[in-house]
Amino acid sequence: MEAFLLFLLVISFLAIGVPIAVALGLSSVLFLLSFSDSSLSSIAQTMFDAFEGHYTLLAIPFFILASSYMSTGGVAKRIIRFAIAAVGHVKGGLAIAGVFACMLFAALSGSSPATVVAIGTLVIAGMVKVGYKKEFAAGVICNAGTLGILIPPSIVMVVYAAATDVSVGRMFLAGVIPGLLAGLMLMIGIYVVARYKNLPAQPWAGWKEIYHAAADAGWGLFLIVIILGGIYGGIFTPTEAAAVASVYAFLIANFIYRDMGPLKNRPKRQPGESRVAAFVKGVFDFVVYLIPALLHKDHKKTLLEGGRLTIMLLFIIANALILKHVLTEEQIPQDIARAMLDAGFGPIMFLILVNVILLIGGQFMEPSGLIIIVAPLVFPIAMKLGIDPIHLGIIMVVNMEIGMITPPVGLNLFVTSGVAKMAMWDVVKAAMPWLAILFVFLIMITYIPWLSTFIPTMLMGPEVITIH
Amino acid sequence: MSYTPTGPISRFINNLEENFIALILAAMTGLTFANVIARYVFNDNILWALEATVYLFAWLVLFGMSYAVKTSAHLGVDVIVNKQSPGVKKILGLLSVAACLLFAGLLLAGSIEYWWRFFTKMSFLESEDVPFPIFIQSLVGFVEDGEPLYENIPRYIPYFILPLGFTLMALRFIEVGWHIWTGQKDMVIASHEAEDMMDDMTKSEKES
Repeated sequence: MEAFLLFLLVISFLAIGVPIAVALGLSSVLFLLSFSDSSLSSIAQTMFDAFEGHYTLLAIPFFILASSYMSTGGVAKRIIRFAIAAVGHVKGGLAIAGVFACMLFAALSGSSPATVVAIGTLVIAGMVKVGYKKEFAAGVICNAGTLGILIPPSIVMVVYAAATDVSVGRMFLAGVIPGLLAGLMLMIGIYVVARYKNLPAQPWAGWKEIYHAAADAGWGLFLIVIILGGIYGGIFTPTEAAAVASVYAFLIANFIYRDMGPLKNRPKRQPGESRVAAFVKGVFDFVVYLIPALLHKDHKKTLLEGGRLTIMLLFIIANALILKHVLTEEQIPQDIARAMLDAGFGPIMFLILVNVILLIGGQFMEPSGLIIIVAPLVFPIAMKLGIDPIHLGIIMVVNMEIGMITPPVGLNLFVTSGVAKMAMWDVVKAAMPWLAILFVFLIMITYIPWLSTFIPTMLMGPEVITIH
Repeated sequence: MSYTPTGPISRFINNLEENFIALILAAMTGLTFANVIARYVFNDNILWALEATVYLFAWLVLFGMSYAVKTSAHLGVDVIVNKQSPGVKKILGLLSVAACLLFAGLLLAGSIEYWWRFFTKMSFLESEDVPFPIFIQSLVGFVEDGEPLYENIPRYIPYFILPLGFTLMALRFIEVGWHIWTGQKDMVIASHEAEDMMDDMTKSEKES
């Protein structure tokens, strides 16, 4: 009953336009003051503890910063060039390359809307130019963009790990097979449509172009090698890996790609210059321009951008942690779990319930904020029902993905309508057929735990489950 | 990110806030990276790097939350609010500002109480690893009989961001309330994270 009051309070605040973070925090504070003997100062302590006590969350600002350096148009362009060279020559090639590019970009960025903006801006226009229908192009990119939060590194996964105390490394590994599978399913879907509708293919670019495009995009894509390799090689903690990735991304953006900073628009190698001379000049540039690049206004802009996103996200998370504190103190998840077990709910019914809650919630809330509220609620129940915590995490992430493209208010739909300059409703219709593929994918992920748990268990051994 | 400061004072404050946010994030990244380098290159360990980074992290968010209020960056749900007539919208806007102020006020009260305890009775409590350089201590007069008072920084220094952050936040909410009252703004929240991205995108399209 009291729990119901708490959620009613949160929803009413949200409805009148209170920021999500404040709605969560204020409801929890009011609840604590009226139903328990917690003091205001202990709530302030919980607030500071969100940072002091959750080392895992420290990875988030660094992942955000790394992808801010990588989110310039130049990186997306290089990835798209490589994707087109590699798969553009089959039927429907440009659309398949678009999906492939989204998958690669997802490995640099932990956010779905950012993936749609970076890849969609260039690919949708390109597809229309060679004769695809705009609706087709928008629908494909809108769906493929959701892979941003499934393919590691993913901010949503870090948040889940922090909320439930599972390992970030395991979550990232668990996303690999589902991420590839979802991409592959979309590609196959496109290929079938392309055969049927006889969609255009690009000319075969040749091995040389593939090699050059790969070498160029490789500088950026090496970021994911640093992150995954560093974590699983036992070289870094996930937080350190993210910080190293940020520094690497800074160096690549400033000195190799030269998309920002003092060397912007100055090519690495002049035409006719020898490799050795270009290399020596590059080293020289690095020494001379390192400090100017650090102090450059582009760098400040990127840092501020990363800082802003971090502040917004972490302020929501800190307040959601106060709510989590209330939930655990009042034993609310345990009550719900008991009620569900008494009603004879099995794991399957439970997972369907989780799917429904997240699909609805995902329409109104930012994925990370939703995860940090829902995870502590469903996690203890899932453990009682014998569901693997990593599997549960992947189910939640895939639900968030679909929530972003389900009408009426999916975030990706909104971004796509802006990128493709189409009405919102047209994007909804365009995304529908591909959404069906992702739904099949969700069912597969939910009922085949092996897809999520195979790689982490193989590489890191069976999991030890701890419940707090 | 539709915020542009007007007038020299707000421009100065805006620069101050932005530089501080950028600097903290840069320092966090630099410290963590330096620690990795220390471990693998110099076979050493910067003992205080982790704790210092965590404190900077708290400062980044708790300081930045007021900046986010100013730039209307906080996310919310606008589906219902946007369907209302301007009059109702204004009332809802003022109501939500009142809720925000209540939140900031309650947490400010809690923060002051919490921080005051560390500043007075428990001022001897030090952080675990972050050292307090002696020359700074002698500079600010933390010296007794020629000996520095602290080995590590006392906890009330990092915790000071709690009362400071919520004071700044409350002030910004009052400002937003005034803007809604006079009709310069209609909501506390950012309408959509996505709208920001679109803004940035059209801007960069224009630039190129």
